Amino acid sequence: MTGWVGYTHGAMQPQLMSGNEAIAHGAVRAGAGFACGYPGTPSTEIVETAAKLSGIHAQWCVNEKVAVETGVGAALAGVRTLVTMKHVGLNVAMDPFMAVSLAGVNAGLVILSADDPGMHSSQNEQDNRNLARFAKIPLLEPSDSQEAYDFIAAAFELSEEFDTPVLLRTTTRVSHGRGLVVPGEPVELQPRPYTRDISKYVMVPANASKRNHRALQRLEELRARAEVSPLNVIEPGTIDFGIITSGVAYEYAKEAFPDAWFLKLGFSNPLPYQKVLEFYGKVSRVAVVEELDPFLEEQIRALGLPVYGKEYIPAEGELDQDAVRRALEPCLTAEPPARGPVTIPGPQQLAPAPAPALDVKDLPILPVRPPVLCPGCPHRAVFSTLRKRRMVTMGDIGCYTLGALAPLLALDTSLCMGASIGMMAGFNKALGKKAAVGVIGDSTFFHSGITALLDARYNEAEGVVVILDNRTTAMTGQQGHPGTGVHPDNTDGPAIDIVRLCLGLGVRVQTTDPADYKSLEKLVREEVKAPGLSVIVVQSPCILYLPPEKRTVEVVDDNCNLCGLCLAIGCPAIAPLDDTVSILDNCIGCGLCADVCNRDALIMHGLNEMAGV
Amino acid sequence: MSTAEQAFTVSLVGVGGQGILRAAAIIAHAAVAAGLDVKSSEIKGMSQRGGSVLSTVRFGQRVLSPRSDHADLVIATELLEGLRGLPLLAAGGTMVCAASTRIQPGAVLRREQEYPTELAEQAAARGVRLIALDAEALARQAGNPRTANSVLLGAASALLPFCDDDWQAGLAKSVPPKTLETNLLALRLGREATTSQEARQ
Ligand code: SF4
Ligand code: SF4
Repeated sequence: MTGWVGYTHGAMQPQLMSGNEAIAHGAVRAGAGFACGYPGTPSTEIVETAAKLSGIHAQWCVNEKVAVETGVGAALAGVRTLVTMKHVGLNVAMDPFMAVSLAGVNAGLVILSADDPGMHSSQNEQDNRNLARFAKIPLLEPSDSQEAYDFIAAAFELSEEFDTPVLLRTTTRVSHGRGLVVPGEPVELQPRPYTRDISKYVMVPANASKRNHRALQRLEELRARAEVSPLNVIEPGTIDFGIITSGVAYEYAKEAFPDAWFLKLGFSNPLPYQKVLEFYGKVSRVAVVEELDPFLEEQIRALGLPVYGKEYIPAEGELDQDAVRRALEPCLTAEPPARGPVTIPGPQQLAPAPAPALDVKDLPILPVRPPVLCPGCPHRAVFSTLRKRRMVTMGDIGCYTLGALAPLLALDTSLCMGASIGMMAGFNKALGKKAAVGVIGDSTFFHSGITALLDARYNEAEGVVVILDNRTTAMTGQQGHPGTGVHPDNTDGPAIDIVRLCLGLGVRVQTTDPADYKSLEKLVREEVKAPGLSVIVVQSPCILYLPPEKRTVEVVDDNCNLCGLCLAIGCPAIAPLDDTVSILDNCIGCGLCADVCNRDALIMHGLNEMAGV
Repeated sequence: MSTAEQAFTVSLVGVGGQGILRAAAIIAHAAVAAGLDVKSSEIKGMSQRGGSVLSTVRFGQRVLSPRSDHADLVIATELLEGLRGLPLLAAGGTMVCAASTRIQPGAVLRREQEYPTELAEQAAARGVRLIALDAEALARQAGNPRTANSVLLGAASALLPFCDDDWQAGLAKSVPPKTLETNLLALRLGREATTSQEARQ
């Protein structure tokens, strides 16, 4: 890999760079147009460096969770995106991190975790290589500045080719250490415009389980790639001793044992089993040198291969060449360990699905019955309005995620709790225009929308955030939240006012009642056109929480031409007949169907009116 | 034979909002009253908003797994869900279905798909014993249309090892006290309807 000789690429002169600087420069060279993160030693200088470079937008986010969500939005918009944080920052970002593994990306998305072995400036030590494995995504580990520069380009390519976020993991000595970097030629990119794909980006259970299956397949495809990747190399040695290693530990081990054989894993998750096996064919003694956890070691042991590992190499703190030499010296002359049978996990051989006790083969194909928004649900008016604007609509998690289902099809994404606002902000920033809006429920807004709105304001993102304030946590069964002040024992606490909260952030805020459909439409139309960031709070209680006054709908059959406008709102209380529609018993009289009908075929009657008839 | 295999499995299927979970609770509590070991499980979440719902109750001397795809008895509170629930039955199983209750899913409402009605034919073709009844009519006869699930439990009761006291205990634990009498009546009407149906066959 990188040695002292061989810097002969054209006119490019080697430059002294820290790993973090190299990552920023390498990202720009690889065509990245968006970088964001939250400062944290040893990751901070990447965004700082990117901010000084042209061709890339760099921003600080309010925290790592919002940074990943913003990054996902930018990547979906078609811009290669780098999101940076320190190791503990990834703990904060776990929710979108895990979800985007399933949803996948559009343009490349690289998440950088800078780990801090030795805890020079951290509250703990944690080995985030485990989290790449946990999320079933590829892991790249550069060893020095040149590799930091080169690997970021490789990471973007893997991300796009395999439709996955990639974890780029450095440690303090890689991020903050300096070394020579020979810059490369800029990478030419094809545009990757966003295409709507509800089945991929809306993580409702039915979609997510298919995506999860895909992530498992993808992992094996990635493993096959890791087998042949130039990032994973066997370096021949002259003694009967081999070292498997990754990251900066490679530099320590190579300096300690220059004559040993090396398997240097730059692309270390998923582990290339055959490559490991090939390496074991070269030497009879193999050590694994890695800082912190026995990440590679345990996987190699699981194959049945003997390893000199954590019984010699400390599992805490940093290593260096002396520590590695001292630790492994006894192994050089030890009797080579006996080798038993090796088992490489083969492709899955699942038992065939059991034959059902009953013959169900020729059962008819039954109409599916997905969950739907209740008849009269106030969210329905918002979705039928948003649909007309044809904006990219970043959704969130709650009853209103059902707005993504037929016939409304009103949401583009639902990633994880609170992701809508960050994704909207990132999408619009990346495109430099107001192309996306966000939709979030009141409880989800309190969960983690507030920080994202704060971030969007701070970063001067464009967008319209529609907060569906139905005064409860509806999906899970009407629980209280800070907006209602209600506790689990039904006692009341202080209730926080969403409008004043948003005003406090300096965001333009409007409120509306979805029952007034015309003004809701007008408001959405105006806010979508207006520059900047605004919030529309749609205030109407969940009908299960506070059922509205009962009204009835009269169908004027002669006026109905079955245009389908009222059917398109997806209310389960309207059904088409042969030449008109009928209103079913489960109608609660919200009036939306009458509002969308433009032929006066649906007339609302209130209680009082009926009493007077 | 292991004790686990002796567990009797009842699967309840229907539409979110039809009271499937409560009906399952009634069976579970009746089993407790009968001195049996019980396990039950259901998937909530999205199914509450008018989606398909499945709840399973298993009882016996000792019950291990909380779920099984081989039900001895399937109780369906709606016709289409009854058809969907057929594959849940073990060979020789029985289905009790509120065959006159039809809740049209969105695709049917929008006329994209037909509402399938051939439960009787499909059950017969697979040797499933079908007890189909108009649970809503009997519930109205009992005095409250919302006791339809108790009618279905009554219709299924001949297959279940519970005495009247067990049922009463199960209902008392699960329904509001002031509806207990109506529910008991609904249960009896369901049982009688089945007996007369059998007698006719
Ligand atoms: S429970 Fe409330 S919020 Fe959820 S779909 Fe029904 S009306 Fe809408
Ligand atoms: S008024 Fe119209 S939209 Fe509202 S619940 Fe009734 S049928 Fe549905």
